[in-house]
Amino acid sequence: MLSIIAKEIHVEFPIYDHRMRSLKYTFGLGQLAKGFNRFAPRNVNVGGQIGKGETGRIVIKALDGLSFEMHEGDRVGLLGHNGSGKTTLLRAISGIYEPVGGEIRTSGRVVPLFDLQLGMDLDATGIENIWMRGKLLGLSTSQIKASFEDIAEFTELGAYLEMPIRTYSMGMMLRLAFAISTAITPEILVLDEMIGAGDAAFIARADLRLKDFLARTGILVIASHNTPMLRQWCNKGMLLERGKLIAYGPIDDVIARYEKN
Amino acid sequence: MRALTFKQVTSAFDDLCAGLRSWRLSQFLAWQDIKHRYRRSTLGPIWLTLSFGIQMVTMGVLSSFLFSSPLEKSMPYVCAGMLLWFLITQIINDGAALFVSTSRYITQIKCPLTVFLMQVLWRNMFVAAHNVTIYLIVAVSLVIIPGPSILLWPFGVALVIICLAWMALVTAIVSARYRDVPVMIQNILNILFWFTPLMYFPEQLGSKRFIADFNPFAHMIALIREPLLGATPTLNDWLVVLAMSLIGWVGTFLFFARFRARIAYWL
Repeated sequence: MLSIIAKEIHVEFPIYDHRMRSLKYTFGLGQLAKGFNRFAPRNVNVGGQIGKGETGRIVIKALDGLSFEMHEGDRVGLLGHNGSGKTTLLRAISGIYEPVGGEIRTSGRVVPLFDLQLGMDLDATGIENIWMRGKLLGLSTSQIKASFEDIAEFTELGAYLEMPIRTYSMGMMLRLAFAISTAITPEILVLDEMIGAGDAAFIARADLRLKDFLARTGILVIASHNTPMLRQWCNKGMLLERGKLIAYGPIDDVIARYEKN
Repeated sequence: MRALTFKQVTSAFDDLCAGLRSWRLSQFLAWQDIKHRYRRSTLGPIWLTLSFGIQMVTMGVLSSFLFSSPLEKSMPYVCAGMLLWFLITQIINDGAALFVSTSRYITQIKCPLTVFLMQVLWRNMFVAAHNVTIYLIVAVSLVIIPGPSILLWPFGVALVIICLAWMALVTAIVSARYRDVPVMIQNILNILFWFTPLMYFPEQLGSKRFIADFNPFAHMIALIREPLLGATPTLNDWLVVLAMSLIGWVGTFLFFARFRARIAYWL
């Protein structure tokens, strides 16, 4: 059974700027940091809380003691204002940020799909880019070979696949990236905003492919401000505010709560 | 500083194993890097070989002239030495840029960090493989026959790569946190070039021979260079590199275990 179980997770970001990141800072100019607290937002709904970490360093508390469970079949929409911790939570679920406190346990392979064009090389051909993206998505050589026809056919790029993608229009590039990314079968899929293939003429086919892709997915976690879209794809909602979990339940209830604020 | 936890050690070990297991991915990424660098150029990766060749002819002639050693002796010596020197410095310098240059990948996909370390190793081995052609041309034209110690040569190469791997990983971790470090390392390596017997022979140092004896890179280079030139590396060379690899990896592993999870936060 696929699941994500989070217990009291905390994620904190130490603040480094060019000054603090250098050795000079560590050896003596640490006092400067104290001034930072004066700028800490108070009674504002934007951003995580600024506080002191264990080592006395200034940190942003991006996630502050979240506990929840997600199971197979859950389609969870993440809601919250800018800086409420949505993206951080997505990355914590993906295992990119390991929490400084608490524990997050996932059973099943997590596939984060944040930037569909990650790793694509403008001077490489469409075909080469299918390989590059496929490898980055964790597909094996034989899996890429098996789904190659399907990807190529879906993009309708034909002979263009032999050309460097530098020659593509924005729409064509998106189409290619979308086709490759939706060729996988993720156990747990993590999205920051819904993926799509732009291009009006193409949207009906892309929607169909997307529907099929999401249906194959075991658990879906998606962050967005687009409530109609979340209503369409999700059965559960989670509302975050300043790194804290405010509500988690049926999507309609959580959206109502979100819109009340 | 908090002590190492058991979980940190096992996760670091898992990362290392997963990195080794996905050698196909790192090799693929490394080859893409090489292809990317030479796209739209007519000669492509042949440029690697060509520029190394031109440099070697210049340095070989210069060294023979400056240190008054016969050209047929200094040419293969300089060529084999520089081949390794480029490999060593490039791996360490790439190591310094490792996590910063791959930060987009590290913050967007879940991938063992050691995959990117392996990518650096592969990439530089590909480059070195291109440069080897120049050495082969020199060796064949001067009829240099490697001695029996060539049988141990593959082990020497493997040992040096293993040793360089930890050096690259340590620099990578420190550089992700402190951005002055890459520049610092680059400067240190530039200076070390003059203290390493590459252009001159260790004997020519005379009473200052300890400069070569205490230079760890000199031993790494000797281990691979000597068999190619028909000589035998000393037992001392073997022991120094072996000890460096072992002690280095134990230390590096603990260091990696402690900070692995923090790296994504530093980027």
